[in-house]
Amino acid sequence: MKIVVYLGTGGVGKTSLAAATALAEARQGRRSLVLTTDPARRLRTALGLSADALEQLVPLDPPAPAELWGAMLDVRSTLDDAVRMYGKPNVVDRVLAHPIYATIASSLAGMSELMAVERLDQLIRRGFDNIVVDTAPSRHALEFLDKPLFFAGLSDSSWVKLIGRTYRFAAASPLGFFSRGTFEVYSKVEGILGARLVSQILEFYSLFVSIAEGYSHRARHTVALLKDPAVTEFRIVSTPQKVVADAAYFLDQLGSRGFPVEAVCVNRLWTAAAAAERGPGLEGELLDWYEAVRDSQQRELDQLKLNLGTAATKIIPVPELETDVGGLDSLERIAASASLASAK
Amino acid sequence: MDEQARVVVFCGKGGVGKTTLCLADGVRNASAGRRVLVVTSHPLKELAVTISLQGLEAEFPTAAQNLFVVHLDAKDLLAEVVRANFPIAMLAGAILDSSLYRNLIEVAPGLKEFYFLVRLQQLAERRARESGASAPEFDLLLWDAPASGHFLGTLRAARNFETYLQGPLAAAGAELARFFSKTGNVALLPVTTLEEMALTETTEMCNALRDEFGLAPARVLMNMVSPAVGAKAEELERLRQRVKETGPGESGAALRFAAGRGLLEAERAQTLAPALGAATLAVERARHWSSAVGLLAKLGEPLEALPQGL
Repeated sequence: MKIVVYLGTGGVGKTSLAAATALAEARQGRRSLVLTTDPARRLRTALGLSADALEQLVPLDPPAPAELWGAMLDVRSTLDDAVRMYGKPNVVDRVLAHPIYATIASSLAGMSELMAVERLDQLIRRGFDNIVVDTAPSRHALEFLDKPLFFAGLSDSSWVKLIGRTYRFAAASPLGFFSRGTFEVYSKVEGILGARLVSQILEFYSLFVSIAEGYSHRARHTVALLKDPAVTEFRIVSTPQKVVADAAYFLDQLGSRGFPVEAVCVNRLWTAAAAAERGPGLEGELLDWYEAVRDSQQRELDQLKLNLGTAATKIIPVPELETDVGGLDSLERIAASASLASAK
Repeated sequence: MDEQARVVVFCGKGGVGKTTLCLADGVRNASAGRRVLVVTSHPLKELAVTISLQGLEAEFPTAAQNLFVVHLDAKDLLAEVVRANFPIAMLAGAILDSSLYRNLIEVAPGLKEFYFLVRLQQLAERRARESGASAPEFDLLLWDAPASGHFLGTLRAARNFETYLQGPLAAAGAELARFFSKTGNVALLPVTTLEEMALTETTEMCNALRDEFGLAPARVLMNMVSPAVGAKAEELERLRQRVKETGPGESGAALRFAAGRGLLEAERAQTLAPALGAATLAVERARHWSSAVGLLAKLGEPLEALPQGL
């Protein structure tokens, strides 16, 4: 099994490239799935997923030798599933109905990354040859790699265990059970948030801790797979104007975390040569503009090549389509015009 | 003299150029001698902002003097609350380092968003020290907002801050409500490209802003557009004919691409203004960019057509 992870800032075309990659893999006979963690759910448009389906076999015409699946990450429903799976029966309903639970999916930093890893784990068990992951845009792009382990550490935190065991008692007689330092922090945070909200949050964590414990086990396993270069490839996506800076930034960030970058995809590249003869007026102006932009893009691409030098990271140019990226037909054209299928 | 800097919000889909146009507008205003504060919510500030402003001092010294950029991180903001409440440095430090504190603060509903807007308001109202507390420190505050979903999420979460209205943050909550209820304090500049996905998202965002918050765009900025946008109808018609005459094949590829896109964009640009009920402004895709700040200066030129004070 192979995993390809696309990273990049918002709006550079990660979703389209991820979907086109899974499509190219399916066309080459490997059972593939594209998982998008993008809350905008753009993959729905591209793969024609219906409004309520989080996961679907994509019908292809002409049919491919292997299946193509599209899957979406819905943070809340994945979290619900995780609660049901890891929670003890007497805890599940109380967690799901808790007032803090409604906000935890959106407020707790790293929750969407955590759920992406949870979802990835579910999918890995289902026997795909290829899983292509489209990470959420920018803000979380790198947290995707950092946060699952951070969260896994939550259940190791002594304070959570402490509260988990003693909260009810401690609430009645706090000084006896918190250490002095912990109690000071506790009362200061009460000073900021108000006592009612703090006790609600603490109660929630005391319920949630066993679920986090169950989860952390699996998260470590999945993150280990993401760190294994024999299994996972990372690709940076950018547009020609930004690719020099983006590549330098993400190569550095990924490198320092020990993730090798397999490729930099330069998306929406203008490549056509303009005919020598051109009409007057708007036509001439448009073609002059087109050539000037195309040449500027080429200069950026040359600079990128220079910067990468002899590094193992390759460049995948992806020409911009004449029409908007929308349906499967445009994904087929992207898949046909760029070498996105994995070399391994 | 205004009581505060006006807050101009650059909002829209990811990747449409919010940060770039916000900085271009900042450089333009700062070059004209206005004191501008850019508050960026771009998640990777060092990537999006620092690199774009490289060489500003050498090429545009006046702008460099008047342009200030801050990135407001929710974590830092909440650390400020702690320090304000607990002036003893050691105690504040102990609280901030505590995982109990971090985990409590993290999931407090809407707190980060609420406090972000409180800080934005405070910055807009901050007095200049040397002018005897009469004038605001900045003439203009430009907010490079997060991508539309998260931007709306920030507004929604902050609006649902009743929790804090009864608690210890009640005073800040009342100030915030007062600031944002005053018309003229905030101007919206949605940014979009003329691609279908961006237009859909922009329309949805503008509808939500209108229906949920009663906010209307001051102008809609159409970014990275073709020179065909705004061309005369007969010129576009002639172009359409030329594309029809051009057969398939390599030699016509650039014309098919440039004209095909241009015609589509020209059509969409025309329907955008009535659809959103706001005037539009086109910023053409740059042909050359010799330096990062040179690009910002060039992109700032069409922004001269914005109403005064934006």
